[in-house]
Order: sequence, then C-alpha cells, then structure tokens
Amino acid sequence: MRFVRLLVFLGISLTASNLHSQEQPQDKGKFEIDLSELQKEVDKVASKPYSLGGFAEFQPTLLGIDRDSTFSRLQFFKSKQGSTFDQYNFRLRLEGFYKKDIFSVFFKTDTFVRNDFEGWDEDTKLFEAYASVKPSPSFIVEAGKKVMKWGKGYAWNPASFIDRPKNPEDPEEALEGSTVATADYIRSFDGPLKTVTLTTAAIPVYRHVNAKFGELFHTNFASKLYLLAYDTDLDFMVFTGESRTTRYGFDFSKNLATNFEVHGEFSVINNVKSKFIDQSGRGFSTQSEALNYLLGLRYLTESETTYILEYYRDGTGLSRKQMKDFFSFVDTSYRNFLTTGNAGGLVRAARLAKGPYGKPNPMRDYLYFRVSQKEPFDILYFTPALTSIINPVDGSFNVIPEVSYSPMTNLEFRLRGVFLVGRHQTDFGEKQNDYRLELRLRYYFAL
Amino acid sequence: MNEFLMKLLSALVFPLLFTSPAFALDGAEILKKVDANLQPESFESYRKLINIEPSGAKREFLLYTLKKGNDKIASLFLSPASEKGRATLRLGDNMWLYIPNVGKPIRITSLQSVVGGVFNNADIMRLDYNVEYNVQKIEDEKSEYVLDLKAKTTTVAYDKLKMWVDKTTIVPTKVECYAATGLLIKTLYFKERKSFEGVLRPSVIETDSPLYKGYQSILAYANVKKRIVADEVFTLEFLAKIETIR
Repeated sequence: MRFVRLLVFLGISLTASNLHSQEQPQDKGKFEIDLSELQKEVDKVASKPYSLGGFAEFQPTLLGIDRDSTFSRLQFFKSKQGSTFDQYNFRLRLEGFYKKDIFSVFFKTDTFVRNDFEGWDEDTKLFEAYASVKPSPSFIVEAGKKVMKWGKGYAWNPASFIDRPKNPEDPEEALEGSTVATADYIRSFDGPLKTVTLTTAAIPVYRHVNAKFGELFHTNFASKLYLLAYDTDLDFMVFTGESRTTRYGFDFSKNLATNFEVHGEFSVINNVKSKFIDQSGRGFSTQSEALNYLLGLRYLTESETTYILEYYRDGTGLSRKQMKDFFSFVDTSYRNFLTTGNAGGLVRAARLAKGPYGKPNPMRDYLYFRVSQKEPFDILYFTPALTSIINPVDGSFNVIPEVSYSPMTNLEFRLRGVFLVGRHQTDFGEKQNDYRLELRLRYYFAL
Repeated sequence: MNEFLMKLLSALVFPLLFTSPAFALDGAEILKKVDANLQPESFESYRKLINIEPSGAKREFLLYTLKKGNDKIASLFLSPASEKGRATLRLGDNMWLYIPNVGKPIRITSLQSVVGGVFNNADIMRLDYNVEYNVQKIEDEKSEYVLDLKAKTTTVAYDKLKMWVDKTTIVPTKVECYAATGLLIKTLYFKERKSFEGVLRPSVIETDSPLYKGYQSILAYANVKKRIVADEVFTLEFLAKIETIR
C-alpha cells in the first residue's frame, strides 16, 4: 500500500515537472541574445561581495525490511515492525560567502528533518564555517570548521586522514567538516613539474571540538604535499598526534588518454587497535599495522557513457570469519531472546553494531562499479546510472539503478532503488533492508 | 649559355622551392592573428552560456573566467544556484572539475560537457587555436581565407577544423569541427563584434551540431579585460578559492 502511495506521488511529481517543462518558451525560431541585458547582469554580479543560497529537499523513501537479517533483528527486536515502512525526509542546506580585500568567510549549514514510524526527528549541523586570509595567491591561511577533501578515490578515501568517511552509496553528498587551522603554500613552475602545494593542518581534539575524532585533550598535525608532475597528480600525506595513531598516505591520478583516467590511493596506519568477538560473544582485541589502498579508473566512451571502477582494500576491516562470528552471535542471542526474553546479547550486539560491525562497508575487500549515460536519446539534463558495490569475498552485493533529471533550472529529480543481494551470513545479505526506494526532489535557490 | 641557363633555372626553381613554406608561414601568421583578435593572451571575462532546446526552452549559465598565457584557463560558475561554486581548470592537456559537494577536483576530459548541450569542455576551456593546431592548407576566397587546421596531438578534442576568416578583420566567421573519422561534430559561428580593451572582437559564439539536431548553444562575452594573475591561481588548491579574487 505504501509502495502504491509512493508510486502515485512519483507519478504526480513527474507529471508536474513535465507540465512545467512544457511551460517553457515555445519560440522555435533562432534565439538571439540581448547583450545589453547580459551587461546589466554582469555589472550587478561583479559588484557583489557576498552570496547566499542553498537548496531545499524532499525525499520520500520506502524501505523493504529483511526481517530475518542480523541488522533488522538488532534494530527492531523490541518493536513489532512490518516488512516495509516509509520515511519522509526534508533537508534545508544554506551556504553563505563574504569577501573583503584579502579576507573571506564561508559557512554551510544542514538541517535534516525525518518523519517515520518513530515520529519526527530533527537535526541541525554546522557543516562548515571558516575564515580565510590570502595575503597572496601563493599563501592561504584558514581556520574554522572545514572539509579537507584529501584523496583521489570516488567511493572511498583511505588516505583522507581528517575528514569523516563518505557514504559510498552516495559519495557526492556533502560532509560535515572538522575544526582545523590550515596553511597552504602554492608554487607554480614551467616544465614537467608544474605545481607544488604544501598544506599543513592542526586538528585540536577537545571536549567541545572534534570530540569524536579520537583521544581527547590533544592537538594533532597533518601535512599534504601535492605535485603536478608529468601531467600526473601526486599527493603525499602524513598524520601524527595523540588522538589517533600515526599514518602515512599517497595518492595519484593521471589521464592515460583524454577519455581514460586512472587513480590510486594508499595508506599505512600504525598500531591499529581492532576489537571483535567470537561466535559466543567473547571479546578480543589486536593491535597491528594496517595497509589500505584503492585502485580505480574512469573511462568515457564516444557516446558519453562513463564507467567508474574501483577496488578498495581496507586493512582495518573485519575478516570473513570475524563477520560470520558476529552474525552467529546475533543469531544465538535472538533465539535466546525469543525463548527466554533475555535481550542482553542483542543489546550488546546492537552496541557493537554502532562501531566497526555497523559501518556501511565493514569488511576488507570491495569493488565499486558505476556506469552512467549522459543525456541519452537527446534528452538534455537526464542521466540514468547503475551502481553496484560488491563484496568479492562473500559474493554479496548491492545494485543501485537511478535516473536523475533536471526539468527546469535549479530543480532536480532523482529516483533510485537500492537492492541488496546476499546469502545468509554475508555482508549485504545481513543488512537491515532488502531494498530501498527513494525519490529526491531538490530545489536550489540564491538569495 | 650555361650561365644563362643557370639564371633561368634559378628564376624558375627557387620560387617553387619556397612557395610551399611561404604559404605555411602565412597560414600560421593568420592563425596567430586570429587568436590575438579573438581574445587577449591573458584576461578575465564574464561569459553567459545558453543551451536552447528544440522546444525553445533554454537554460543559462554565468561563468567568470581567467586565462593566462598559452595553457592556463580557469572558470567559476556564478549561476544558476544549482551550479554555483563549480569551477573548471585547464593546464595544457589536463582538465579538472571542482564540485563543491564532491570536494576534491576530479579529472575530466575535453569531450565531456560540464553544462550539457552542444558545447563541450574543450569549447568552454578553449586554448588559442595556434597552440593546438597546425595550418595544413589555406585557400584564398573572395572576402575570406579558408584554413584547414590539423590537431598537433591526439589529445586535442577535434582532429580537424575548417576555419573561415574574414580578410579585412582577420576574425573567424565560422569554424567546422571534425573528428578523426571525418564526422562533422559541430559548427561554431562567431558574431557581434564588440570593442573589448580597444580591439573589436566577436562577443557571441553560436554553435549547432548534426549530433544534436534542433539544439543550439550560445556563448556570449562581457567585461573582457586584460588581467595577469599569478600562476598559482591556476592550481587545484586555488580552484575552490577563485571567488576570492573575482
């Protein structure tokens, strides 16, 4: 019934967008630009030292629950939940910018409101807010909350030592930044070495600043050296401090042909502490060095089909056995709960699921594949795409078909489904959902 | 007699020997003049890009652009709101797109289009023609030169161009862009000459393509001013900060 409701809503939305599209000017004659109007617009824009804008978003979502899976049991064992439920998500993003001489400030806020079977929930976050001083184009100092954007991977960034991890199912979504102070020194040259940029960052971790980053009451430091040499992007990174263990990184990106790009990302993390349980729930912890890497390519065909392929090795991830032990522990705890009413095991497992076991991609090996076709059948601003994230070790995967369309300036529709496929006790097979259908309507505005 | 024959041969053969290079030189000179008349070597400008669909519906993008020397060009999208903050950078054959939400700039290719429509990245981030093309042939028509241009490397977006150049102004009126297979990809029309910094330059470039039947794209220039900024502006780190120097 909910699915039908969603489809009806979708139909109404698309019809409305189509109608709007048809409201556009129908003048089929040769268009002539009015240069005096353009000059007026440019004069107005050129003299404006600030900007304010953002987007409003509505995203109804239908979730199909796999009631026998590990993560749905952990989520819903206390409450009777049907096999589907819907969510209505609203988001308001605001961005502002102001500049004067060598100074500028920038902010980005995110307000998220959700309504589902649990009622209403609201969360407002300051994603970014920082001040910038630029005495010359070669030297820039910034302080505040910002996203550092390190790494070359599309779905994952093993060498991004400061930022929060991306959502590989939606890697283009904005992230909340960290509070940092940074300095960039940039030099350009003629010859095979074209650019050198040195970025240094201080990352304080205290009770009210970056509290979730790691151990409190330390200031950490990180540096990145970027080179554009022989038409290749190269980055070397290091992070050191008491909040997290020392780590080193390297990435590269290069176009082997105009339509063929390759990239890679590597990191070594010292003394990584791993905590896991066996199938009886007994806890273990180990400490070792972890090697993480990502290799990827992006290929564009003459017909503008883009392929992205990435392989990700997460040395800090859980092994197949560790993951299976967790699934077995939840199985046993759930049976125990049904027979005795004792939820102790499930409560403990739910707590563990907030850590490494509950990450979107908790294991060690993943493949990412995406194919998108720009404007097929001469339909401008229309892009269908198919994405899949595959766990090659246990053979489970998800498939994400989507279409996005912008029927008018500043309005975007995206319809996507996420279907999870996997046997019992596999990564994607034990996730909460069998599928998720979502429609995203986003309207951008400038004030 | 021998001396007479030698003089005769010299008079006949020497001009023939130099005819071909002389034409090549003329073509190269004309192409350099075309580039100089289209845009200054280093400049800033505002550009409006308009995509017009067969229905007449149109979509507009406003860009701020900086170019320096032969191989550096950066553009920042100012509107519409959905594109604001996006920026592109070209350093020779390297091209990147910065999308604020995605974070780091990603490498893009000349044949892609960051805005959709008929213009691709190579059109929007065009370097001077003489940097990317050699003149293969020049024809002298009534009021125009017709130049056949061949890409210097395989990384250039179009393998061949056919360029019609007005003889009096040394400004192109039309350029046909061909793939290596000989397929006509698009035609550019240069219009509306306007004085920028005392030089009359085309302020409107229109394009259509047999691959996009019924679609039309327009690129219009405003406030083209000579401006020389530091090389460091044309770097990935600075791409997100172009707004601060606009």
